[in-house]
Amino acid sequence: MALLTLEGIGKRYRQGEIEVQALQGVDLQVAEGDFAALVGPSGSGKTTLLNIIGGLDAPTQGSVRLNGIELTAMGEAELSDFRLFQLGFIFQAYNLVPVLSALENVELVMVLQGQHRHERRERAEHYLELVGLKAVMHRRPSALSGGQQQRVAVARALAAGPRLVLADEPTANLDSENAFALLDIMHRLSHEEKTTFIFSTHDTRVMERAERIITLRDGRLASDERHERHSA
Amino acid sequence: MQHDMNTSSLNRLPMLFYIAWRNIWRNPVRSLLTVSALAGGLVMVILYAALLEGMTRQMVQYATEVTTAHIQIHRQAFIDDRDMYATIPWAWLDEIEQEFPQLRFAPRLYAAALASAADTSAGAMIRAVDPQRELQVTTMLGHVRQGKPALDVADVTDYGLPRYNVVVGAQMARNMKLAPGSELVLVSQAADGSIGNALYRVASVLKPIEPNFDRMGILMSIEAYQQLMYLENGYHELAIRLDDMTRLDPVQQAVREKLGQLQQHQPLDELGGPVVVRNWRELMPAVADMLELSKSMLLIIGFIVVGLASLGMLNTMLMAVHERTHEFGILLAIGMKRGWLLFMVVLESLFLALVSALSGSVIGSLLALYFEEHGIDFSESMPDGYDWAGIVFEPVMKGYLLPQDVLYASLLMIGVAMIASLLPAWRTVRLKPAEVMR
Repeated sequence: MALLTLEGIGKRYRQGEIEVQALQGVDLQVAEGDFAALVGPSGSGKTTLLNIIGGLDAPTQGSVRLNGIELTAMGEAELSDFRLFQLGFIFQAYNLVPVLSALENVELVMVLQGQHRHERRERAEHYLELVGLKAVMHRRPSALSGGQQQRVAVARALAAGPRLVLADEPTANLDSENAFALLDIMHRLSHEEKTTFIFSTHDTRVMERAERIITLRDGRLASDERHERHSA
Repeated sequence: MQHDMNTSSLNRLPMLFYIAWRNIWRNPVRSLLTVSALAGGLVMVILYAALLEGMTRQMVQYATEVTTAHIQIHRQAFIDDRDMYATIPWAWLDEIEQEFPQLRFAPRLYAAALASAADTSAGAMIRAVDPQRELQVTTMLGHVRQGKPALDVADVTDYGLPRYNVVVGAQMARNMKLAPGSELVLVSQAADGSIGNALYRVASVLKPIEPNFDRMGILMSIEAYQQLMYLENGYHELAIRLDDMTRLDPVQQAVREKLGQLQQHQPLDELGGPVVVRNWRELMPAVADMLELSKSMLLIIGFIVVGLASLGMLNTMLMAVHERTHEFGILLAIGMKRGWLLFMVVLESLFLALVSALSGSVIGSLLALYFEEHGIDFSESMPDGYDWAGIVFEPVMKGYLLPQDVLYASLLMIGVAMIASLLPAWRTVRLKPAEVMR
């Protein structure tokens, strides 16, 4: 059974006087453990689709099911819990809470989940070690490079034990070296942790690392291809 | 990995407190300005409360200690018509004194008279007191401007009659050109209907103590009064002083009950009416009203000052929320509930308010204690003090710090600041993560 199933997803919204059809009839299935890139030009609907999968936005048409649970039927509080316990998020920038250290940022989602201090501290340190940042875990985001901040975001997303990680342009603000390093970490952890990754991008470096490339064009699914992953 | 979705919220509180505390110091200059505005407002309110309390206490002190005392007892006819015959029996004084050994009592008698000096005359109001008892109940005899407050026999006339000392009010002395040593003749209608008259020696002139007394008051001893007025069966007024003002109401009630028992055993004449026990608030309703008004004024001033200062808080929190909309969007996206986010923003305001309350209370209390010790000296511009509500105040305005005033002012400030934080908190709650993260 697919972890994620999208059926006939459509999204229409108004931008001033203009009505925009951001997504139209998108059908998609994502299996557990997929490492998938959602690609397409700007305005193709990548971020909108990620927001709908993440329960941050509601589709105007269609259904979204994660592990058999219908998201579009959920209320605000249920969606919050869904995001908290089932999803991990990595955003393009400003991912971290500036007043918390790297360790505290990784702990944050687990704090919100209500995990006990000892357990969450152990997991946070473990994931920071996996992304190679244990040595700087007490630094605040302002004392970390852009690449390090994104790695902290990856650790935060995974430490809480999500079924699915959604990453919106995670390498957009990174140089090639940091982008490749981040992608390698995400790919390795995806395999080690059996976590499903979907990341939107128009960065060819990211596409090279993806095992599956889902292409959107003008709000429609243009192609869905599986690739052998190239090692860095 | 599965998690218990019903885990206690208590696990989250320390982190929310921690983030909120850290957040207020993200922009230390702005937070310190906000704290300064709130703390400054609180200092103003505490100082105002302390000075008002100082004035109030001085007012109550003057109102009760100089002439009125805490409780007075009269017959109803004396209150209504200044009926000379509406007296309280002397025997009752002993009975009441035995019942309430912790209280101090001063009986008084009154009469209207015509006063004549060398070349002036004026209407006068005689107040007869027992100097020993009066000194235990009021400070009237201590407010002497000239001479000595003696009410005993000054000398003996050529006819062998005692000539008593009297003490006169400030304005009366000025109007009748009286000074210590002056002779004064008083003429009045005695209790037996005859014309009573006698020659007196002015022993001293009092400072201003009470407008009516200052204008026409003459103090004499009860013995001198009885010789002039032939009224020996009782007194018109019994002034009572309490050691502990906070027990005013129960003591008043106890005295009232005791007098009720005495009236049952020893009924009084009907014409004089019942015995009435009144406390100083009932005797001086204008002063009592003014004290109540001052409390309301304090509340209004407090709201205005703290309300204005809280606009700083509103501005700070609106700016903070505006600057952090993207961050709030991320927090909502990763699963923070809107209620927790609202709680966090309200906590930030609470921390700012608490820091302000703490610093404002300390600074305000220290300043109030300074003014309690040293006061604000107006003696250069008002050497004789100032007159408010018919009461003369010292030229040095002293504060009096009540710990509960500091507490209430702080709570008021925190409350108003928290109200001011609701708008930014509400804005946070209405954020849509998908929109703010675009």
